Formats: sequence, C-alpha cells, structure tokens
Amino acid sequence: MTTYKTRVRPIWCAGCGNFGVLDALTRRALSNLGIPNHRILIVSGIGCASRIPGYIDTYGINSIHGRAIPIAQGAKLARPDLTVIAIGGDGDFFSAGAGHLPHAVRRNVDITCIMVNNFVYALTKGQISPTTPFLESGEKVLVGHHTNPPVDPVLDMIAFSVSTQASFIAQGIATDPLHLSWLIEEGIKHPGFSFISVLTPCITYTAELFAAIKSVASYLREGELVELPMSSEEKPWRHNPTDIGLALRLAQTPVLEKTHLGILFKGVSPDRAA
Amino acid sequence: MRKDMTIGAVGAGGDGVMVLGSLLQYLTASRGYFSQMPRFYGAQIRGGASAVKLGLNAGTLSLPKDVMDILVCFNWEKYLEFKQELPFDEHTIVFYEKDAPKGITLPARSFRIPFSERSERVTGSPLSKNIVALGLLARALGLASHRRAELVRESEELTILSENLAAFEDGGSLLLEAPLSELELVSAMPIIPKVVLHGNEAIARAAIYAGCQAFFGYPITPESEIMEYLAQELPKKNSVFLQAEDEIASAGLALGASLVGVKAMTATSGPGFDLMTEMMGLAAADEIPLVIIDVQRGGPSTGMPSKSEQSDLSHALYGGHGDAPRVVLAPYDLEGCYRLTIESFNIAEYYQALVILLSDQWLGQTLVATNDDFLRRNYPIIERKRPAADSTNNYLRYQLTPDFISPMADVGAEGFVYQTTGLTHNENGTPSFDVETSQLFHEKIWRKLLPLTERDDLCKIFGNPLSTKGIMTWGSSAQAVLAAVKDLGLEDEVRVCIPELICPLPDKVKKFLESTERLLIVEMNYSGQFHNYLRSQVGLPKKTMVYKRAGGRPFTSLELSEPLSEALK
Repeated sequence: MTTYKTRVRPIWCAGCGNFGVLDALTRRALSNLGIPNHRILIVSGIGCASRIPGYIDTYGINSIHGRAIPIAQGAKLARPDLTVIAIGGDGDFFSAGAGHLPHAVRRNVDITCIMVNNFVYALTKGQISPTTPFLESGEKVLVGHHTNPPVDPVLDMIAFSVSTQASFIAQGIATDPLHLSWLIEEGIKHPGFSFISVLTPCITYTAELFAAIKSVASYLREGELVELPMSSEEKPWRHNPTDIGLALRLAQTPVLEKTHLGILFKGVSPDRAA
Repeated sequence: MRKDMTIGAVGAGGDGVMVLGSLLQYLTASRGYFSQMPRFYGAQIRGGASAVKLGLNAGTLSLPKDVMDILVCFNWEKYLEFKQELPFDEHTIVFYEKDAPKGITLPARSFRIPFSERSERVTGSPLSKNIVALGLLARALGLASHRRAELVRESEELTILSENLAAFEDGGSLLLEAPLSELELVSAMPIIPKVVLHGNEAIARAAIYAGCQAFFGYPITPESEIMEYLAQELPKKNSVFLQAEDEIASAGLALGASLVGVKAMTATSGPGFDLMTEMMGLAAADEIPLVIIDVQRGGPSTGMPSKSEQSDLSHALYGGHGDAPRVVLAPYDLEGCYRLTIESFNIAEYYQALVILLSDQWLGQTLVATNDDFLRRNYPIIERKRPAADSTNNYLRYQLTPDFISPMADVGAEGFVYQTTGLTHNENGTPSFDVETSQLFHEKIWRKLLPLTERDDLCKIFGNPLSTKGIMTWGSSAQAVLAAVKDLGLEDEVRVCIPELICPLPDKVKKFLESTERLLIVEMNYSGQFHNYLRSQVGLPKKTMVYKRAGGRPFTSLELSEPLSEALK
C-alpha cells in the first residue's frame, strides 16, 4: 500500500490548515483512487501551500509563483496518461497567476487545480490577498491592513470559476479532510479542468476570519435544499450541480454571509461545460 | 555576362510586392539560381509600405548588392520609406508605374510601365499588376519563354501563376515595348533547382527533425512564421501544438512538457523573451531541458518589430536573477538556423540545460534559395540520459556524477519518483539552505556545461590562418562582414571569427584572439553587447575597434568597407 507521504517534514505552523489538505490528498484521495504514485505529477507555485509537492511521494515540482497552471498543462498535454494536479494558494493562483486561469478553463485540459485559499499572504507574513474579504469602514478588521485608497475589493474564486465556466467547480474546507478528499477524487475523475477551492485557516493570520467563514458554512447535497444567508429573501432551491445558472446564484453569495461546501457545478460534457 | 543581379520591388500593401518577389525567387530557383530576399515592411497589415530586395547569383549564395540593378516601383511615396534599403544609381534600370515626384532623379534607363492598365486589359482587374511585372522581369532576365509555362506547371509555389498566365505573358511582351534587350545574366550551371525557405521555417523544420513533440508559442513579429509552420505540421504527427495566453505560459508549458520527458520548444521575439525570463531560471535550476528561440527585433520595449537588431544578446547571456547558467547559440545563415536548432535540442537534452538560440528578423524572414543538401543531411540526435531500469534503488534526481549530469527519469517512470523545486536543493531534490549545498548546487549546474567550450565546430573562422588581423562578429551581421571582406579583396589579409556558440565561449575564440594583433568587432546594437561580453571573457588585443550601431537597416558591404579598411590597415 502506497502511503503517498515523503519523509520531509512540512515547514507549516502547528495547526496550519495545509495539513488538512495534505491529509485529504495523501491518506485519502490518492489512496482511494489507487493511482500508482509514479503516475501522478503534482505541480505547485510558491507560497505556504505550494510547499506540498515535497511532502507527497509522487512526482512533483514546486515551481514559480503563479505559474503552476501552465506547467501542469504542458505536462498533461505531453503525457495525457498521467494524473496531473496543480496546487497553490490564493495569492499564487489568483493574483500572480490569475492570467493563466481563464485559459486553463477554456482549454479544459484534464488537470485538477486545488486552490488552497487562506485569504492571506502568509509566507510573506500577513499581507492582504485578492481573496481577503473586503470590509466596510467601521466594521471589525479581520485581516492585516487595508489598501489606501481602498481599491482592492475581493476577487471571489468561485464566482470567477463559474463565470468562466470551468467544467468542474467545487469548494471544500481544510478542517474536513474526508469531505475534501471526496471532492478531490471527483475532481480527478472528472474528464476536464477541475477547480477546487479549499477554505483553509491560516493559524497565524486568519484564524479569526476562518472561524467567521466556517460558522456560516453549509454543505451542498444534490437534490436537497440549499441553505441561503439569513438575510436572503430568495426561496431556497434544490441543489443541482449540472445547472450553471444555479451555480452562479450560489457563487454570488458573499463568503462571510454564506459559504457553500460541495460540488457547485459539474459539466456533463467532457469537452465543454454545459 | 553578369553572374549576379539585385532586383528591388516596392509598393503599398496590396500591390503584391511580396508575391512578386517570392514568385520571381521561385522561378529563378527552379532555374538553379541562388538568391537571398530580405523583406522590408511597416507596421500596417494593409496599406503600409512593403519592399523586397532579391539578390540573384548564378554560382554561389551571396547577399543582395547594395545598389539595385533593377527596381520595380509601384508607388514612389512608399519607395521613399525604403530608399535606404533600396538605393539606385545611374546604372539601375527602373520600371515604374507613376511619375516620380520632385526630388527623385531617375536614371537613363527608366521606363514608365502601366502595370495596372495592362493587368486590367488582360485579366479584367488591376490586381494582377504584380504578375505583369513578374512577366516583364522574367523576360528581362532571359528565363527562356518556351520554358515558362513548363516551370509554372512544375512548381507548387507557382500554381498562382497558372491562374494568371495571361498577365504573366502580357508582362513578357512589355519588354518589346521598352527599348531594352534581355539582360545578360549567366545561366546557373549546372541547373540544380534550389529550395526556397527562410530562417524561421528552417528553425521550425529542424525542431521537428530534432524530435520536438511539443511547441507552445504566442504570436509576435518577427517570429510568427515558426509558430505557424509548427501549427500546421505538429498536429499531423500527433504532437502537441498550443498557442498560449502569453509568453510566460508558453515557456511554462514547454517546461512542463519537457519535465515529463517530451522534447519541447518555444519561440518568441524580444518582448516575449522578457516574459520567459523566470522560466529560464527554473529550467536552469531544476535542470529541465528547454529550448527557447528568440528572433531578435529592434528594441528596447516595443522597439522596431519588423526590423532586425542584435540587441537581445545581453538578455540571453545574463537575463534573470541569480546565477542561472544557460547555453547561447547564434546562427549567421540559413543553414545555421537549421543545424543549430538541432544542436540546441541536442545540447538541451544532453546537458539538461536551458538553450537559447538567437536568430533575428533578417535571418528569420529573408527568403533564401539555395541547395537543399543541408536539409537532406543526417544529423545525430541526442536524447537525455535516463536512469537504467534496474537502478531504482535510492534514485537521486540530482546525483553528483563526474560530469555533473544526473540521469533524469521521465515523470511516469516506475521506481524513480522524485520531487524537485526551484528552491536550492540537494541531490535528492529536497530544499536545503546551507551554504555547502548551495555551493555544490551551483557547481553542478555550471560545471556540467564546461565541455561545450571544446566545441570548436561551433566557431567558424575564415580567411588567412596566418594573418594577425582579425574580425569578430556574430549572427546575421557576419554575412555582411564576409561580403565586405570579399568585396574589398581582403580574404588573404584577415581572419574572420564567427562563434555560433556564444555561451559558453569556445576555446577556439580564445586561441583566435591570442594570435590577433588588430581586431575589429562588428555588431548591430548601440551599446556593443558582444564587445562587452568578449571583454568579460577573454583578453582583447590593444588595437581593438568596434563597429556598432542600432538596428533598423541591415549592414551592407558598402557600409562596412570603411570601418574594415580603417581598423585593419
């Protein structure tokens, strides 16, 4: 039985959410899928989460800030028989590397993109990232400092992936590796570009913010009613992950009001999102 | 009888100047003539100025001469934009459509030819005026009339002529109206039909020959012909072709493909080359074979996209942070574009290294008609060293070996799983920040390239081996230097050294300089990048002169004659 873990000790802080992602991958998703470790390539960028290839006993490369997605696509296009996973953080994939995302989506290259979203630049010690929730003045500041003038509102990963019509869109949470591993397995099995956002606590900089997000999180289950924010006047609908229109409605909910966990959208066609 | 002849054509976009030049080149190539045809154009897609300069030679491949023997001018306003590239003198024969404006004094043998009217008369449209002009030139050059129809049938490239035969024949009859007999151009003997291609196509074809199975690019002038050729050809071979979202991605995609064991390449020009810089560092640090073609154009910034310059040398040599080793190759002619692209792959694979091939707009887009022996030759193909199947025990991706080259497992190979990183790493690929590891890591990636300095075959030296007067040049400038040396009759008085391998610098260059007392360095960039590089690598003679200037116009034999005479007298 492959353990998928190397002997390298992670540099992460004790209690870091990245351990949950590592656990979901190594102890669960890859084992459950039974893919031999030499058939897997993990490509990461730069950042706390991007250290992960060194800790997983598959082929791996910890590459350049923002550039995991092009490298991963090149590998997959050249060797379609490999399972290729791109992992990085929110700053990595959504700021420096954001230009590559819509193109990976439209090409629908069969790679699984795991975005470890801790809402902060942690490795460089606490600067805001494009996913840091934007707070009106007067409200409690949950993360670091604001931009002055305040021109830096949040870029929502899920809303982005829905609007560009990624063919598989899911959101998990690092504190539930079991659920997360299921999402990763589904993403790997999905024959096309899979986008999995993972809400992750940064124990050093965003623990309080993460707690606030987690408190409004709820799971999506196919066929069951979706939970909406308390303030919402919409009538709840039954979750249907094949409906991109419904996924868009879910994505429009601010993360601090309601956080949806599960498969938001899964295109039926392997070639294009429905 | 004349052995060579230079023919210029100029007009507005849509006048069909490129087609005229190409067809004349194909016609003459099928009759065995060598030729080079640089093209000059502006930024506009339609309506801009366009010019070609076809240098024909019956016996050998040479540069077009400075001054036209024949000029076809459809538009004098556009001519003025290229008058430096297409000068004429009192001996030039000029065929022109409209009267020349004040300030242009036409030579005695100038003929006003109503190309558009003639085209309209025989085809019903003025659009074939370039074909009328072609017919006239073909007749003037004495391409025997009874053979013309035959030629048209023989060549795929000339199919367009068979649809315009009326215009072509009518153009031929025009010669009778101009008081001008056929020009005395020597027949190419023996008549060996020539292949016609430019450096960009040569590079693309060589990449396929070398085993490139994945190409990623982003459109940019003057590189796009490489990408377009591979877009056609790679899918036929079930190989990967992708137009990336930018040049960061195209280099990253190529690096990813190479990582999993597939030979990969990207190609660009200056501005795109800038964007590739971070991937250059990763390829060097992680020892991932990567071939980058840079077809240089005028810079900095957007510069002059359609003009040639040799100003990316410093970026190729030093671009990027940290001490990132790389190999820099630079062809100076068409054959070199082909051979050195294969060499680029061989070196990248063998040394698991970053290889940058510096071409330029002149080499890339000048159409050359020449013998096709270099395309039919057998070139050795080198594959990267992979671990033996039974060596799975304790496989170390970056194992220190006597030659510093470690077997590289393809991703997917069982038993060789490794993790690598752009962080400074040890033999196992694991990040390590101690100074000893860092020193070893640098030694490994740098010292593995040292054997390349023994590649004497990648440094060409011409001229009198006993001479102590030397010229050093590189890239397409070398063609003009060689032409100037020949035109000035200096072949027995100087030696010309052209390193095709620029980094690491071949020992042969050092030996050349040791026995040189007077040196002239010729390069096409403002600051003298090649001169500065040479100075950093090797002692130069006290009497060293540099002829350098910004790009925009190719060097000619005429331009170089003064600095050559001055520096070497």
